[in-house]
Amino acid sequence: MIRVRLTAQLRDYARGAREVDVESAADLRTMVSKLDQSYPGLGGRIVDDQGKIRPHVNVFVNSENSRELKNENTPLHDGDVVHILPSVSGG
Amino acid sequence: MTKNKGGICLLVGTKKGGFVFTSDSKRKEWRVSGPHLKGNEVYHMACDARNGAILASVVSGHWGPTVARSEDMGASWKESRAPPRFPKGTGLSVARLWQIKPAPEEEPGVVYAGVEPACLFKSKDWGKSWEVNEALMNHKTRKKWQPGGGGLCLHTIIVNGKRPGRMHVAISAVGTLRTDDHGESWRFQNKNVIVGDQPNKYPEYGTCVHKLAINPSTPDVIYQQNHTGVYRSDDAGEQWIDIRHNLPSRFGFPVAADANDPKRAYLAPLEGDFSRIPKDGHFAVWGTDNRGKEWFKLDTGLPEKSYYTVLRDGMVSDLEDPCGLYFGTTTGQLFSSRDHGNHWQRISDCLPPILSVNVSST
Repeated sequence: MIRVRLTAQLRDYARGAREVDVESAADLRTMVSKLDQSYPGLGGRIVDDQGKIRPHVNVFVNSENSRELKNENTPLHDGDVVHILPSVSGG
Repeated sequence: MTKNKGGICLLVGTKKGGFVFTSDSKRKEWRVSGPHLKGNEVYHMACDARNGAILASVVSGHWGPTVARSEDMGASWKESRAPPRFPKGTGLSVARLWQIKPAPEEEPGVVYAGVEPACLFKSKDWGKSWEVNEALMNHKTRKKWQPGGGGLCLHTIIVNGKRPGRMHVAISAVGTLRTDDHGESWRFQNKNVIVGDQPNKYPEYGTCVHKLAINPSTPDVIYQQNHTGVYRSDDAGEQWIDIRHNLPSRFGFPVAADANDPKRAYLAPLEGDFSRIPKDGHFAVWGTDNRGKEWFKLDTGLPEKSYYTVLRDGMVSDLEDPCGLYFGTTTGQLFSSRDHGNHWQRISDCLPPILSVNVSST
């Protein structure tokens, strides 16, 4: 089971839930795809049309930024906690 | 579904959300709601005359673009469950949504949207889900398309309305294209449109169209504000005629056509490409009542001194008689005229930077 913690702006997609579970996913790409199946529209807010994590979105696996790992190809394991957050940018 | 019957609905897209102004048919007193879709850039909004729904092109700096839809005049919004997205493997990704255009009554459920990088999307379910126009996405010249200052954007969609299957789109800095087969194929229509100091001054494509406008009753007459001039076509875009004549400048962004009189059109000229402010610090709308043979200044009620700038979707005409005109500026002023530009009234002076103004009779 992968636990996904959603930032406030994304919770409307998950009917207000702060966190949701994904049964299993080999990597972040698969996890986003499964999230989008359960919560239509959510995936497209995290990744662009070609499946790349949006430039101003940070996805942490446990405490590590996926950009320091393998981006969308970062492998996931049972028990991982994924945080999806807006980057502190724009100013 | 709520409809604001018997009045005018003015939809203002800004860098900080959308605003909805409503008035009765006198167009004198306005009520405002908003900002809607806070935290987002609302590039464009359109009221679907078929059912009263409002559609909005929304871009979040963090979460990307989507289309939002309201069935209660903005009190609540729902995002598209499958927003405009390019197919995987194309290498293309929607960066921004531009104009959104509900189709005529004869095409129930159909809505069009233009995007950056330039392409057209179509919804068949009132804006809930979207599919790409493959003919434009795979156009044989696409790799040679150059972006304009606002990006490589498809910013204008005109549905002919009288000839089924005919549409025009405008792309900066590519030019104007037309389809006569519901978007199955497209051909360029830039004949006689100059591109400036280039070896080939009249290329098939590569012209910087800024905006197109039609009178719905005469849809084959098209007015064009281009980077390099002002044009009119009398044959659905086959040929363009230079109609700059006595305008103070050939440069500007918006153009609006009068819904009552096809001989009337309106512009908001700027000094020029390298000085995008009104000439002499005096903003004015310019109008013609003889299809562009002569132009006259329409500035009664506008400030004597101002550096207003109106973007390409920032000026629009309504369908009332006499025709109403509306424009919004990048510094947040919103003006209206109830008599085709002869007198102007300030509706608001303090909005966020205005990206677009659209109007609907409801």
